[in-house]
Amino acid sequence: MFFFQSPANRIKFSPTNLLLNTLLKVFAANFNFRPKLKQYLQSDQGWIDFSIGFCTDSGTVSAAVICKNGKVSVSKIIPDPVDTLLTFYSEKAVIRLLSATPTEQIFMVLKGELSPTGNASYLNLFFFFLSLLLSGKQKKLMEKERRLSTQNLLKASPVPRKELSDDLQKRFQYLMTAETIDKNVKYLNDPFLSKFSIDDFPRVKQFLDDHFTVKPEVCPELPKLVTDWYKKNGWETDRAGHPWHPLLRKAQAYKYLMENRRPLIRENDLIAGTTTTKDIGVVVYPEGHGSMIWGELLTVPHRTLNPYDVSEETLGILHHEVFPFWARRNFREWVRQEYKNPLCQQIDERFAIYFTWKQATISHTIPDFPKLLRLGTSGIIAEIKEQMNAFDNASDEKATLTAMVLCLEGLTGYSRSLARHAEEKAASEKNPQRKAELTKLSKICSQVVERPARTLDEAVNAVWISWIGLHMESTNAGLSMGRLDQWLQPYFAADMEKLTTDAEKKAYIKYAVELIGCLYMRCTDHLPLTPDIANWVFGGSSSDQAITLGGMTPDGDDGVCDMTYIFLKVTEMLSIRDPNVNARFSPGINSDTYLKRLCEVNLITTATPSMHNDSAVMESLAEFNYPIEDLRNWSATGCVEPTLSGKHIGHTNFQMMNMVAALEMAMNNGRHPLLDWKFGPDTGKIETEQTDTENPEADGFKTFDDFFNAFTTQFTFNIDQSIRYNEMLGGAHQQLRPTPLLSSVIDGCIEKGKDVTKGGARYNSSGAALIGLADVTDSLLVIKKLVYDEKKVSLARLKKAVDENFENDPALHAMVTRKVALFGSGSDEAVLMADRVAKFAHDHYGSKPHYRGGKYTVGFWSMSNHVAYGTLTGALPSGRLRGKAFTPGLTPEPNASKNLLDNIRDVARLDKKNITNNIAFNVKMVPAAGDSREKTVGDMFSYVKTYFDLGGMQMQMNVVTSETLKDAMAHPETYRNLLVRISGYNAYFVTLNRDMQIELIERAEYGM
Amino acid sequence: MNGKNPKIPLILDIKGNSLDDGPGIRSVVFFKGCPLSCVWCHNPESKKPGPEISFDKTECVDCGTCVEICPENALDRSNAFFIDREKCTLCGLCIENCPSGALSMVGRVMSPEEIVRAVIKDKPFFINSGGGVTLSGGEPTLYMDFLSALLQKLKSEGIHTLLETCGLFEWASFEKKVLPYIDTIYYDIKILDPDTHQKFCGAKNHRILENFTRLHRLLPDTGVDLLARTPLIPDITATEKNLTAIADFLSNQGITRARLLAYNPLWHEKNEKIGTPDTFKNNKKMHEWIAGEKIETFHAIFRKRGITTG
Repeated sequence: MFFFQSPANRIKFSPTNLLLNTLLKVFAANFNFRPKLKQYLQSDQGWIDFSIGFCTDSGTVSAAVICKNGKVSVSKIIPDPVDTLLTFYSEKAVIRLLSATPTEQIFMVLKGELSPTGNASYLNLFFFFLSLLLSGKQKKLMEKERRLSTQNLLKASPVPRKELSDDLQKRFQYLMTAETIDKNVKYLNDPFLSKFSIDDFPRVKQFLDDHFTVKPEVCPELPKLVTDWYKKNGWETDRAGHPWHPLLRKAQAYKYLMENRRPLIRENDLIAGTTTTKDIGVVVYPEGHGSMIWGELLTVPHRTLNPYDVSEETLGILHHEVFPFWARRNFREWVRQEYKNPLCQQIDERFAIYFTWKQATISHTIPDFPKLLRLGTSGIIAEIKEQMNAFDNASDEKATLTAMVLCLEGLTGYSRSLARHAEEKAASEKNPQRKAELTKLSKICSQVVERPARTLDEAVNAVWISWIGLHMESTNAGLSMGRLDQWLQPYFAADMEKLTTDAEKKAYIKYAVELIGCLYMRCTDHLPLTPDIANWVFGGSSSDQAITLGGMTPDGDDGVCDMTYIFLKVTEMLSIRDPNVNARFSPGINSDTYLKRLCEVNLITTATPSMHNDSAVMESLAEFNYPIEDLRNWSATGCVEPTLSGKHIGHTNFQMMNMVAALEMAMNNGRHPLLDWKFGPDTGKIETEQTDTENPEADGFKTFDDFFNAFTTQFTFNIDQSIRYNEMLGGAHQQLRPTPLLSSVIDGCIEKGKDVTKGGARYNSSGAALIGLADVTDSLLVIKKLVYDEKKVSLARLKKAVDENFENDPALHAMVTRKVALFGSGSDEAVLMADRVAKFAHDHYGSKPHYRGGKYTVGFWSMSNHVAYGTLTGALPSGRLRGKAFTPGLTPEPNASKNLLDNIRDVARLDKKNITNNIAFNVKMVPAAGDSREKTVGDMFSYVKTYFDLGGMQMQMNVVTSETLKDAMAHPETYRNLLVRISGYNAYFVTLNRDMQIELIERAEYGM
Repeated sequence: MNGKNPKIPLILDIKGNSLDDGPGIRSVVFFKGCPLSCVWCHNPESKKPGPEISFDKTECVDCGTCVEICPENALDRSNAFFIDREKCTLCGLCIENCPSGALSMVGRVMSPEEIVRAVIKDKPFFINSGGGVTLSGGEPTLYMDFLSALLQKLKSEGIHTLLETCGLFEWASFEKKVLPYIDTIYYDIKILDPDTHQKFCGAKNHRILENFTRLHRLLPDTGVDLLARTPLIPDITATEKNLTAIADFLSNQGITRARLLAYNPLWHEKNEKIGTPDTFKNNKKMHEWIAGEKIETFHAIFRKRGITTG
């Protein structure tokens, strides 16, 4: 509950108020008198009590719905405190909300038509109640909207262009062979494995087909089991009435979950265990953002983007048993109660300035798989028990270590259940080959995860089973697998050494490809819970499980090995979005042959892997003085961000920060124009009435530096607020969801007896993704050149044009877009400006104390938020028009230069010292028709190699034409697997929202 | 010096990141001015040696600034080409004040040093791709001394050089000043019959063919890579008769490699920008791409004579 400032002097109520109160009374009567609806007022813990208020900004509307003791009542006076308050900016919006589809409801929030404050779970519950009354109508509206948009697309493009879709399929047909063999490739004669195709692996091919055809379904298993446990054993206090130690509470609930969840082996799979009980399941984490889906439970199977099934049984469990228990016991509400609805949280909840990931999860790290494979859970438990002697019985450390042991026991228990299950399945299996596989799986699961892995089969199963275990502990976002090629190579090599004949060796290499193929497909067995708003903000993203290949070993040797190429073969054949494959390239250590293979895989899959320059990434982390062997062992996390494998909680995506908002606020004296909300400091007004071109000083900022300072002042304010919220949520995680299992496989935690959420890891940091670097830089360049250097335009005229979306000043729009050398054009000044903005961000974030120790880091990549934030942003001085997407990551504006080399050079020469959380540089390239595979790959290689030579950090290519993307928009059925890189992650083009599709189409396209 | 000295060329453009003008990633330097005047010229703005104003109506935002500012009243919206080139003195005032860049000056003076500075930044790309600098036009050999100076500078930087030429140059000067600094030559042989050549290209072709033969004979000594190219222009160069004659001319000298350049009808738009009327307005063929099967028959003519055209 939170208190709000009721308007002291009530203005006269409007007719809308009367209508609203009447409608809400109809709503209340339905729930009070229709038993079928009334049952939804009840949870298995009793009646669901909550209140929700409605008002307009001007005070002309006031109403509240109050659910208490099984009765719904409507009041003209909003109770104070209230759980959730909806403030509308127009009277029209009030009535529209009540009949909107869930997507429209979101857009009303995003576009600032209404602002919700207070408990988000209850807002979703209210939406759920609305949809109980209106879901029939909502579904029809959604269907109609979909039909209309399809009709429009088909009108523009009635006939599918088969030659375009065929061209993508043809890329799989011809494959290059390796010209040389890397020194640490010991067993592959052709490292490119060019003689294999997906048709050689019918098992994997079937899984791949399922991936595209099976509709995902929400799985209630995890939330049901843990909620049951907490209800029985208490949340705030244990059964004896003592306050719980958060770690022990979590660990016991976790152990119960792992010992009671169903052990399952997917038909025909070589790897045991599933993330959910569904073929493709959606996991609900109730203490995270689980209840965000509450309002959509009835409509989510019918929505256009990424629909999931929700069975009636699941709906009942989630509504009656799970969500009511967690409505006030989640990260966001913990912060709201603890800090009284702080400003930093209110800003976050308006979506336009920053998004703080800890409201869902921390995740985003790389567990120490080599240790788990080497010791097994039993070995780690032994180490923990040994360490326990160092601490007092009553100490926090002892409780933490005890919690780790409980979790590891839970994981071991799950592995044993799998072994039993495999044995049972084997007993009833008729097909002798499958029977043998199941018997083998049973043996594997008896060995791992409890004891050390000895074979590739055991190692891969151990990785997967513990992967499930980690996902059962906390929300899966960006938890990444690290350097699996390095870590699995010893097991592969040991298996190969046991073989004697060439035929056996050949067959085993093929088996290894199949096994890794199965691992990739296992990674697709679950999806993150995506409320519809996330389809707009993080469209098409899976949970971004990154794998990192190649690079150098911790002692500086060439890391490219047999398993590197086996992973690349699987990446090429499957061409799927997750795992998100990242490849490291160490100049001078890794071969050109390897880099060419990366380019070929990128060409075939159109979008993956993402490529990183080891030297540049390591240079960017120099300030932290990490020991060299740990630094060399970095892996990409989530999208692209560097984490020191197994030792580092870098929460490398703690936030998505819209840098452009600070620029808009600087032009509006602290007010955000679209939200029409002044929360930033006063930094000076620009008087648009005055258009004295001779005298720009009259505009309030005497020099460019004065304006730049206004920008950094607003930016500082936004950064500081976002960091406050991050730290508050960090506290929420320590209380609500510590992660003892993860802690047991991150170096430092056992030694210190400290959970990772409290800073137990050897290395700590939180990393920001800063969005809009090119847009901010270009806007500042325009202001500097035209207003201050050349005095061609007054700041007032420019602001007026920006406010009016340049509609009344086309000449100025032409001038700003054509006459200023932008970032990416090869201009030194533009690169210096980008460096100046980046340095400011780096220095300011870096100066803030970090709650777990270590530092705040900054990177310039955007997931898909460059599109979402663009939607919420007005026109910019750079000439970018209202609502248009920003550029992805730090990619230059498409019209910065016709010459791709200018883009490449400018991005490469940015000062790495300011980029401690990596970048996403997107390039769209198109092979010329008729060019040979060797020629196209050679061209791609030349670009990437030179970019790296010049110091570039990361690069990702979309090798697809805009024409093809347009065809895919109109005819998605022929492009189900068309993979695209958004900014840092991969997605299927046809699952993206319309704005994102258009952004991809409009990206600059460079021919090869 | 503004294009007044016949020995100093104007540079039309330096196009970076070209993958179609020779091996690897290349920068192409376009010279302004050409001894031929082929009716189909794909770079019509490169024909005249002097500077010209280009007007791109698709870029214009119709703000009227230029019309007001022009001291000669040479600009008029009712003129289909916008600029009255009789009145225009090329003072450049309109270009300076055009906010959109729709008006621009075609051709600028650059010293060999400036050109090298502009291309050298791409050297890392040249190295990794086996690319370099291509000199094209227009006709670079119109400016033999300048070309020679530029080539020497490029070679001293270790950059691969490629010359695209129409072949109409003075041999002695070329052999002495240019040939030693060239790695590759793309040599256009457009029409073999001298009279037809005169008709469509504005000059006879005896010297072109003679120079080609000389160059070819010298190959064992110079180590230069020589490639003959023929642009396919509907009904002009792309006739069975002409292509057969060219193929015979090449095969008689024992040449086994040549290239046929696909026709691109989009060049007509370029003419309009510099105020040249489209003489092929009613010629449908000149506004279409050549069909794939047709192109294949042209290649077959060369293949039959043992010449690959890939």
